[in-house]
Amino acid sequence: MMMEINYLDWNNAIEILNKAHETGLFALIIGPKGTGKTTLVRKFASKTKKELYSVNFSLRTRESHLIGSKTLDKGDVSFVEGILVKSMRDGSLLYLDELNAAEPDVLLRLDEALDDRRQLILKEAEGQIINASNSWFVIATINPLSHVGTKELPPQLLSRFPVRVRLDYPPEDVELEIIKQHATIDNSKTNDIKDAIKLARSLREAAAVEELYYSPSLRETIAFAKLLNKDLAPKEVAEIVFANAYDQWGEVEYRKVMDMITSIFGN
Amino acid sequence: MILRNDVLLDIATFLARRWSRNPKAVIVLTQDKIPMGKPDKNQIVLPFLNYYPGTDFQKYRQWRVALWYESMRLLYSTKVLSYDHAFGFLLNTVETKRIELLGLRQWNGMRNELIFNEGMSWLSRPLLNSIHGRHKISEAFSQYFLTGYLKGELYGGEFERVKKASEFANNIVIESIDNSYKTEWIEQHISQLIKILELDPLSSIPIIAPRTRIGMSLSQSDVLKQLEKLVTMKHNYKDDRKALKEIVEGNEILSEFESLVEESRKTENKGYESLENFGLSIPQKMDVDETSIYDTDLIQKVKASFRNWKTGWIERHGDMGEEFDPESYAESLPKTFLIDYKLSIKTKVVILLDHSSSIEDVELEYKRATIALCEALHYLGIKFAVFAFSTDERRVKCWVIKPANIKWSVISARRLVQIKASGGTPLAEIYGLLQPMIKSFKPDIMVTLTDGEPSDFDSVRQMVLFYRKMGIHMVSIGVGRNLSDSVSIGHNLIYLNYEKTMAVSRLQDIPKKVINLLRA
Repeated sequence: MMMEINYLDWNNAIEILNKAHETGLFALIIGPKGTGKTTLVRKFASKTKKELYSVNFSLRTRESHLIGSKTLDKGDVSFVEGILVKSMRDGSLLYLDELNAAEPDVLLRLDEALDDRRQLILKEAEGQIINASNSWFVIATINPLSHVGTKELPPQLLSRFPVRVRLDYPPEDVELEIIKQHATIDNSKTNDIKDAIKLARSLREAAAVEELYYSPSLRETIAFAKLLNKDLAPKEVAEIVFANAYDQWGEVEYRKVMDMITSIFGN
Repeated sequence: MILRNDVLLDIATFLARRWSRNPKAVIVLTQDKIPMGKPDKNQIVLPFLNYYPGTDFQKYRQWRVALWYESMRLLYSTKVLSYDHAFGFLLNTVETKRIELLGLRQWNGMRNELIFNEGMSWLSRPLLNSIHGRHKISEAFSQYFLTGYLKGELYGGEFERVKKASEFANNIVIESIDNSYKTEWIEQHISQLIKILELDPLSSIPIIAPRTRIGMSLSQSDVLKQLEKLVTMKHNYKDDRKALKEIVEGNEILSEFESLVEESRKTENKGYESLENFGLSIPQKMDVDETSIYDTDLIQKVKASFRNWKTGWIERHGDMGEEFDPESYAESLPKTFLIDYKLSIKTKVVILLDHSSSIEDVELEYKRATIALCEALHYLGIKFAVFAFSTDERRVKCWVIKPANIKWSVISARRLVQIKASGGTPLAEIYGLLQPMIKSFKPDIMVTLTDGEPSDFDSVRQMVLFYRKMGIHMVSIGVGRNLSDSVSIGHNLIYLNYEKTMAVSRLQDIPKKVINLLRA
């Protein structure tokens, strides 16, 4: 039985993906880490009852992971199909996460498959031609192109995804609603959670201009709400969930975040 | 001073930008100036810590609160007038209350610090009896409106006027908050306030630093006793000794303060003073604005073009790995698997910037290119040091912009912006001055940006050779006004024994040219 995917569609993203799917236009979701891009894609896959194949390019994906590779099996060389080839054959939903972190050789092969012909020539397997099934659909994600230091996606690859959906950090009231979906919130603790959302927003703004090394995602604000339910003091929870992560970059980084926490939560 | 100004600047910049939600906010530290936010310039002027009375920690707490107030001013005010005439004084005072109320909605955790600050500043407020002239009423209004109390006595109908003015000011603050009115709306009502107080709008208000008021008459234990009394009286903490203790002792902020003290101590020990002992000079002014040499577009472009160096991988063959390589297997090569290695740049770089008079025409562009280069080197995690040379007061100076073991920050940019291009190009002498530092840092590459006309040609050749024998790759980049100028400079530089010589006429190309050297 498939697990129910909990996703609050605050900016109508699912409707846009539906339209893209109906017209066979691949979609690109642009947003920072931790804004729910993967959850959105999983929700979409669940609604359309499509099998989901995922690739995360920030984890050093090789060309062979996508296409396939030769392997040695009892003295014989054989070819094992990669995730891209499988998904094209099956007509499933292919999810390309953090596409702009992919190496150039990988992007080149993807470009080949994503153009209008939806075709791949396997030079690794005697030039076999793979034609994508009609129901094959691709969704990719990238960090915002305006983000400081982001590698740009080559224009030809960008053009393969004519439908673009922005998924930024939600407004504070929406983030509160999202948190309520994942954690039970006592009314007496709502203000503390709003303060945590404010803190997260400040830290995200600092990270966006590289004044801090890390940007907290919705996962942190959800974790804050869950820990608060265990009767820990809000400031203590903020330190555990938000500040401690910065210690790896040194005392000064950690103390800057603690300073923010003190000015929001006080005592 | 227990806290170095550059450490203060770093934390102040971070906090101001977060509190004011303005990523362009710039802090200027200056001696004995009243704290002031300038929303039109995205600037906050703050005094040094010794502007405030008390122990070092108490000074820091007051300074931090002043930073918070001025950050709130950047966020919520659209206009700040000078404090030294009545109209400006009154507008700024009313605004202070408005921004405080708005600010506490967002930063409720500042409450204790604001109470502490109110107590300390109360101790240093003048006694009304000791003030003569019209500005007595302005001071009385400020005291009564901001704190609810008067320090000293008022005579005749003075108190009635102050009370009426405070009620009026409180009402306009509440109305402005309820209706989201801004500074201009408040400003329209200041004339009415002046009428109530019977002031001349242009009458001058003398501003005296707090520490001079509190004087030496109170010992530390007296200060703390007074503080407790004030806080209890005003905020009713009589039955809550714990809360009172927290406000007076400030343990919430103590960890942050101690961390800054430690950072200052580490920075001190990292050898700024030892560099001066070797004849190098350190630009000292911190009240300069470095934003003129920050070209954000150029910085982003350079970082973007080298981002794959930060995240890139290369493939190597090995005995085991992620992928089987059939070609190697077919050729019976020993290593038939492919392993991925993450790219990293371990090169150490020294950059020397010619600031002779020949770069005067293009000084700003030259500095912008340098900043973009340094930001990119910092982004890539490369260890580097930056020096510059010029003639200052008829003496050749080798300036330290960024020592090797100090993190790149806005402080280094402020050091660079204050160096004026002047004088000749005594390159050999500069190389000589840098010798102890070079021997200690042991860079892999030393890049000299110059106009290619040193005043001591033969000596430069010898020094370049000397460093090359130490194993340092000596590279020069000729900076010219146009293509033929830069090519001719490049040709000159070839004769100076540099291992590699390049020329640029477009200064924006400097960052990429230097960084590309590091992977060669």
